Amino acid sequence: MRRLFYLVREAWANMRTNRMTTIVAILTTAFTLTCVGIFLLLYVNLQHAAGWLQEDVKVMVYLEDRLSRDGRLQLELMLKSDHMVGSVLYISKEQALAEFRTQFPADSHLLEGLGENPLPASFVVTLAQNSRSPEAIKEWVEQVQTMGGVAKVDYNQQWISLLAELIGYIELAALGVGILLSAAAVTIIGNTIRLTLFTRREEIEILRSIGATGTFIRVPYFLEGAVLGACGSALSLGILKVGFELFRQQVQFVSRFSEMEGLISFFPLSACLALVLAGMALGFTGSVVSLLRIREGRV
Amino acid sequence: MDAMIQLIHVSKWYDRRPALSDVMIEIEKGEFVLLMGPSGSGKSTILRMLIGEEQPDEGQLFVQGKNVTKLKRSEIPYLRRKVGSVFQDFRLLPKKSVFDNVALPLIVQGVSEKDIRRKVTEALRAVGVEHKRDQSPSSLSTGEQQRVCIARAIVNGPVVLLADEPTGNLDPELTGEIIELFKLINARGTTVVVATHNHHVMRQVNCRVISLMQGVVLPERAMPDRVGV
Repeated sequence: MRRLFYLVREAWANMRTNRMTTIVAILTTAFTLTCVGIFLLLYVNLQHAAGWLQEDVKVMVYLEDRLSRDGRLQLELMLKSDHMVGSVLYISKEQALAEFRTQFPADSHLLEGLGENPLPASFVVTLAQNSRSPEAIKEWVEQVQTMGGVAKVDYNQQWISLLAELIGYIELAALGVGILLSAAAVTIIGNTIRLTLFTRREEIEILRSIGATGTFIRVPYFLEGAVLGACGSALSLGILKVGFELFRQQVQFVSRFSEMEGLISFFPLSACLALVLAGMALGFTGSVVSLLRIREGRV
Repeated sequence: MDAMIQLIHVSKWYDRRPALSDVMIEIEKGEFVLLMGPSGSGKSTILRMLIGEEQPDEGQLFVQGKNVTKLKRSEIPYLRRKVGSVFQDFRLLPKKSVFDNVALPLIVQGVSEKDIRRKVTEALRAVGVEHKRDQSPSSLSTGEQQRVCIARAIVNGPVVLLADEPTGNLDPELTGEIIELFKLINARGTTVVVATHNHHVMRQVNCRVISLMQGVVLPERAMPDRVGV
């Protein structure tokens, strides 16, 4: 118990002895992790937006005018029995016209001159949860297009593909920036630990002479690195949260984007904890890198 | 008598300059030995080798029958727990109290809180600085600091006590007190090896003397009364 207390107290003493270095290390780690966090936040929100958009993916299957009632029912049955399909809603020609008139009242006169209702009957198909990837949708649409009685199949493919592509890029950027800045954080913490080692080299020498093992000597520095990493990470989360709230307020003010407000969200608590743990791991890695030089009986 | 320390044909070079040349020494269990010689004669090199801080270029060293030259790096801390070290510059941690300094070897070994309190109190009492337990080492006199250093070296009951110029920073009166302390420790059964260039020490101890000159052991002078033997 005393040994554990001693090791924790030593780690704390290390940080207090080099107070300024400790503060600078925490701040620079927080800054680098904030940069990583911005990308992560962007990535998480785009993923969320993509998920939301894909929830809303509706494929319009327009029917040929000459399709009989039986043919339509048969097609509806085929669609409903498809494992990729979640739900199917039939919209008759009359319903389509009524909807057009409701949605575009100013343009409804355009159809009046045509006499006959030019709008086709259609099925609004919502795909099953596990069939909403851009590839799966594309494949399914191609298959449906070949079915008899189907005039055209339409869906917002471009938008989904674009978003998927954008998410892919953000993911890559987040990964690249994350690796680069994590390496920077490891180096910063590693240098702080190295400085602590330098200022306490006599003490380390004494510990060695009285029979302290390498592990015993290293543990306070591992703890120090982990605490620095965790503090830096926690601070970066604070900075991100403040930045996020300011952004959300701006979104609220601009009425054009006010709908977005409900869509954007900060990291959930579990992700915040995971990020603090990741910071700890980075700090610990920094210590390990610095302490590689300490072997049993030799600093 | 069992041999506590053995140096068999030990040689060591620093930059092709011999620091020790074919040294043969045997120190028995419970002996009090002075390693005498001027600076650079190889005394400190021998002590550093005995705690695994340096390796000989030739020959072998044994402490309590264990070949120090064959120890793995991870085994060296355990050797140092059996061999107490006293230094000329005391090497005390200035930010820790006297008690905490002396407790350090026991903390390192994971000794229980209760035993730490008991053993540290005993060690401080044995060297006569029990009343200074809560003070910082920097507030103590040099003689008291050396006593604290000795308390730290004996607190875990080592089989050997090595002292490298322990009186180098002390006046003759304090030197006498410290040597008396070593005699007491030796009388309790600990093998004591003191490296010094101070001839006053030799006169005060009246024990076996191993003289070194430029890394070579000179023929031993037989002393009539060996302390602790």
